Amino acid sequence: MTPIIEARDVVLSFGETPALRGASLAAERGEILAIMGPSGSGKTTLLHCLAGILVPASGEIRFDGQRVDTLNEARRSTLRRERFGFVFQFGQLIPELTAEENVAMPLLLAGVRRAPALARARPWFERLDIAGLEGRRSGELSGGQAQRVALARAMVGEPEVLFADEPTGSLDSLTGEQVMNLLVASAQEQGTTVVLVTHEARVAAYADRDVTVRDGKVFAPAPERVAS
Amino acid sequence: MIRLGLRLAIGREAILRLVMIAVAVALGVGMLLGILAGINAVQKQGDRYAIINTSATTPGKPGADPLWWSQRLDVYRNQVIERVDLAATGPNAPVPPGIPRLPGPGEYYVSPALAALLATAPAGQLGDRYPGHQVGIIGRPALTSPDRLAIIIGRTPDEVAAIAMAEKVTGIGTEAPEVWTLALTLILAVTGMGLLFPVLIFIGTATRLAATRREQRFAAMRLVGATPRQISTIAAVEASFAAIVGTVLGFGLYRLSHDWIAGIPFTGEAFYSDEVALNSLDVIGVALGVPVAAALVARFALRRVRISPLGVSRQVTPKPPRAWRLVVLAVGLAELFYFIGNKPETGIGQAAAYLPGLLLIMAGLVVAGPWFTMLGARLLARRANRPAALISARRLADNPQAAFRAISGVVLALFVTTVATGVITTIVANRGSHIEGVRTHADLFAYVDSGTTEVPARLTADLAATQGAGPVLVLRHDPDAGLRAPTVVACAELARAAVYGRCEDGAQVASVWPALDWQDNRSVVWPTSSIPLDGLAGLPVYALLVQTDGTSAAVERTRTVVLGAFPSERNPPITGNEHELEFVSTLTGWKRLATLIILASLPIAGCSLAVAVAGGLSDRRRPFSLLRLSGVQLRVLRRVVALESAVPLVLVAAVAIVAGLVTAELFLEAQMGYTLVAPHADFWLLIGGSLVVALAVIGSTLPLLERITGPETARNG
Repeated sequence: MTPIIEARDVVLSFGETPALRGASLAAERGEILAIMGPSGSGKTTLLHCLAGILVPASGEIRFDGQRVDTLNEARRSTLRRERFGFVFQFGQLIPELTAEENVAMPLLLAGVRRAPALARARPWFERLDIAGLEGRRSGELSGGQAQRVALARAMVGEPEVLFADEPTGSLDSLTGEQVMNLLVASAQEQGTTVVLVTHEARVAAYADRDVTVRDGKVFAPAPERVAS
Repeated sequence: MIRLGLRLAIGREAILRLVMIAVAVALGVGMLLGILAGINAVQKQGDRYAIINTSATTPGKPGADPLWWSQRLDVYRNQVIERVDLAATGPNAPVPPGIPRLPGPGEYYVSPALAALLATAPAGQLGDRYPGHQVGIIGRPALTSPDRLAIIIGRTPDEVAAIAMAEKVTGIGTEAPEVWTLALTLILAVTGMGLLFPVLIFIGTATRLAATRREQRFAAMRLVGATPRQISTIAAVEASFAAIVGTVLGFGLYRLSHDWIAGIPFTGEAFYSDEVALNSLDVIGVALGVPVAAALVARFALRRVRISPLGVSRQVTPKPPRAWRLVVLAVGLAELFYFIGNKPETGIGQAAAYLPGLLLIMAGLVVAGPWFTMLGARLLARRANRPAALISARRLADNPQAAFRAISGVVLALFVTTVATGVITTIVANRGSHIEGVRTHADLFAYVDSGTTEVPARLTADLAATQGAGPVLVLRHDPDAGLRAPTVVACAELARAAVYGRCEDGAQVASVWPALDWQDNRSVVWPTSSIPLDGLAGLPVYALLVQTDGTSAAVERTRTVVLGAFPSERNPPITGNEHELEFVSTLTGWKRLATLIILASLPIAGCSLAVAVAGGLSDRRRPFSLLRLSGVQLRVLRRVVALESAVPLVLVAAVAIVAGLVTAELFLEAQMGYTLVAPHADFWLLIGGSLVVALAVIGSTLPLLERITGPETARNG
């Protein structure tokens, strides 16, 4: 089976500091893959390479069999906007917009008019258990609520791959579990592949498979994984 | 704590903010000092206008002998000459300032500028007007300006007494006309406000630069035990340090630009350079006041931020502006509206009526600006279908005060320029309509106030011998005028000057309007007067109208001849062009001032705008970076930033221009009974150019967007 997203022998440095030294990784369609590793190991850099945010110095990134690393910035942006979704640790909501406008943002960016975009955004509030918060701004949401709004925003465009970088890193454990449950459920419901970066074993436990990044290389399976 | 504040103020991170604040303060201090020095110079100049106030009621020293005094104006090549004829009636007659003694008959003192002119101008064009010879130079105490043309001529008492409206005085005026200094000081205040306001905005904006990072630093200090009071002290020390540097630079800037400031003929006359100076109170006030004010501004800028040991707990979102903000603007407009039909009688009354209204409207624009911004933002948000429009509209509606603050400098500059241009354009349109395109406007018109019926026989012969002089018309009072034209003229004289119209066939005397040279009368047939031709000679002369070939030399030669023939008349012969000269020169001065305001304000306001845009970007670097990583194109984010600045700029600029035009209309209606005439294309070009410059400044910050939204910003932690 062809992996939907794949890194082959990826090398990348920041100035003199090597970040990735021949990292390879593949995720199947619908799979939930956790990338683990200590701070500074290169896991976020690998996620950025897979998502076409960074371009490796050598090696290949492929999405659905097509090279991503050879595309120009504009085409990589289009790819990210139209086929990927993102959830980060914090600070991803636009503070001036209401929660439902934040969720509708990918649709607005794709050219959907405001009313239909908001109509498509609203069901996600029910689905992610945040109904009633549609009109609130990010400053009026708790950390868990804000992450759920961010998840809704990532999923509303029905992405093929969802990249999540420490999505529960700023949440308490109970809220983090709720968010992960919702993330996994939504991804499975839509058949979305999830690439999840985390340093927490209990978060990685939600994945179908996990790998560890250490010193810029990928090791599988993660040796320190704790079974849930 | 103060030492720590100082160390933080010159740390690497703070250096950009320090430079910005110092530059802003330097500009502000430089302008403030320039304005204060200008006010001092205006007052000193005004004091020497006191001599104009000399009259029979001017108090004199006890026992002073009366002095025959006649003060008149003369003109030479579009320049006004102040002429005083005087004659002592005894040894204790008062001596005007600036001369060591009274000139005797046949002697005169002249100002340095007139002395230079007399030395170079042909006598027939100027020197022959003044009887006698020069005995000295008038000193500065009697001169308002180094360029002032003035002459004090000694005559016999009988000669002066014969001059129309001459009077005996026992003292020389020592108090300047009150309206003159009051009006100019108030106008300087308005101008100063137009110039200083953008600078204050710039200082405030620069203080908020990189506020987020600074507040994080303050939070870290709170965590290790600093009290809120200590944090305030550090913030105040940082701001004061920058302000002290800026104040020093500002004094240097003032020093460097002093000669340029002194050269601005703000009152229509050049100042003595050394009188454009600061007094010790000005220096102490600015040197101490500006750093203290900067510390207060810094304190004020932090007022919305609650810094707890765990960081900036909450940025307090300001309440949306309410409609009461329109009250000040409305009151200002209503104040001007009230004076339509209720124009105060005196100059002081008029200044006291209109200037507060203007200041109220300026303050009203600043107060109401956020409300207009919010209104526009809400309208935009309601209609927005594109993400850029939606994000920018929401941000504007969230904090319209901040959005407006950055552009308020431009708005005031636009308002002042619009009012000045509207008023000037309308006055020129109304007063200029009768003079444009009339060839006769170079002809000399001489009022004859003395009531004489005699026209010296030699005048016609002298004029005939004067190169460039044409026929002369003698206009006489018509005793039976009633509602008809008040003067009569011999048809034989009118026939020699067809441009003034003609008589009915067979008529010998015609009734004419005296201002024959103010419009093209070529096709006019003047009605026949019932006064017989031989009755004309017994009627008092009203005025002389002498044609010239329009060259300056001919005008001056002719003027000299007419003055020689009528040495006792109060008013000099002047051309229509000269009649408009002072008016045109004043208007040109105001127009220049209005342009100066907008040209000086724009770069400063542009800097504020750039700093505010950059600050806004810096505050939102993370959400913008994450949007970019999610595939949002840079141009969408650029559009967000551009719209956030351009929408309030264009919207409130439109409000300022409309308010400016309404204000001009109210003033014109109240003061002159004129209806506003729309400004010409050059005004709209200036406005358009100003907005383009402001938008270009916004554009110049956009490359920053690309730099600060790179992937590194999005990394967690």
